[in-house]
Amino acid sequence: MSVPLSQMWTVATYVTRQKLAGRKRYPLVLMLEPLFRCNLACAGCGKIQYPAQILRKNLSVEKCLAAVEECGAPMVSIPGGEPLMYPDIDRLVAALVKRKKYVYLCTNAILLKEKLDLFTPSKYLSFSVHMDGLREEHDEAVCRDGVYDQAVLAIREAVARGFRVTTNSTLFDGASPLRMREFFDEMMNLGVEGMMISPGYSYSKAPDQEHFLMQSRTHDLFSRMLSKPKKRWRFNQSPLFLRFLMGKHDFECTPWGNPTYNMFGWQRPCYLLQEGYTRTFQELMDTTPWENYGKKSGNEKCRDCMVHCGYEATAVDYTFSSLKGFAETVGVTLTGKL
Amino acid sequence: MSLEGWVPDVGQYLTLAEVVEFAFDYRGNTTIVKTDGTEVVGYIFNRNTYGPEPFLEYFDESGDGPFTLRYSELANVKFTGKDTAAGNSWKAWLERKEREKAERAAARSVPDPDPHRG
Repeated sequence: MSVPLSQMWTVATYVTRQKLAGRKRYPLVLMLEPLFRCNLACAGCGKIQYPAQILRKNLSVEKCLAAVEECGAPMVSIPGGEPLMYPDIDRLVAALVKRKKYVYLCTNAILLKEKLDLFTPSKYLSFSVHMDGLREEHDEAVCRDGVYDQAVLAIREAVARGFRVTTNSTLFDGASPLRMREFFDEMMNLGVEGMMISPGYSYSKAPDQEHFLMQSRTHDLFSRMLSKPKKRWRFNQSPLFLRFLMGKHDFECTPWGNPTYNMFGWQRPCYLLQEGYTRTFQELMDTTPWENYGKKSGNEKCRDCMVHCGYEATAVDYTFSSLKGFAETVGVTLTGKL
Repeated sequence: MSLEGWVPDVGQYLTLAEVVEFAFDYRGNTTIVKTDGTEVVGYIFNRNTYGPEPFLEYFDESGDGPFTLRYSELANVKFTGKDTAAGNSWKAWLERKEREKAERAAARSVPDPDPHRG
């Protein structure tokens, strides 16, 4: 685990407050999409397929901040699109840092090196760089040669300037456990603070519909990849979520854990499925038929989903719901044994 | 299969609500035909059938909006815009990669005309 203590403390006190208040459903990470434009068109991505007038649009900083206040989650992830193409990204990030929100700016890093001057290093800001493996695998996943090398240069520069840098990897069928273990070594060599890994989701709008992992294949891949993890590998996510991916835990999805806000409104029911939009966060929480989602619901769209935006919040909630969960998290964190 | 170019025949076998569902799922502009005979081109991003008055929401072709239109004011939706989720750019990428692989393989298999040259 590589989450800084101050961030752990913020999350722990936030979750405890929710539990003491008797809230059954609460958000953990706001997924804030200020735009859908991207400078890549990755095979597994279903987020950017819109007509030109939609791709040209940006949410205003004011609307973004209003959504952050409305939601109240302690962490804000800014995906997209490519957030470094958002013209007010510096103003948005500065305002979030001022509010003491832990920000994950999810970027493919193509523009990172040239835009670093817009930002100031802070414990509240982390660049979460999209890296789907070593050079060959990553460039293939993003459908463009040379992107891996650009990202590596940008990571080096950001780390050298004192920024928090993490990586975010989405894995598909055909991923090699051995190559991924090499990738973990390589990222640690670059000096990133931690890595995030997750299986991909089968977006109905993604160009590649053939390579998404089914549940049993996910368990197999992550078990092989994470067995006997090296001490130097650091993951910026709940260790219990990693154990879930390895098949050592059976969690249910928490679709409200990472609510999504974009130019269409609050997305129902989760970051991955688009079944409609509400105008307020409260309306999203109150009117979404949550019982229709997650594996137990029998919803086909949820059947093979094991993505972190649905299950990381479950793992965190489990940690703070019982002594057993807390002890397991502490144990895995201290020993490094998954 | 893409719905691009489809002009639904709303009637006995296809309801307007079903057409709106297809339009909501469609990642391209549509032509929204109103009951007064006027038309507007836009991207339908939401619909709500829960309330007493079902409605859809869209951004028009220039990006203005969001606008709301009640189902009672809607006659049809034509799928006139390009389907941006049709996956053509990815297919082109795959084809190019396959072509490059084949070219590399072909180059490797060409016999050396003078294997004894030093």
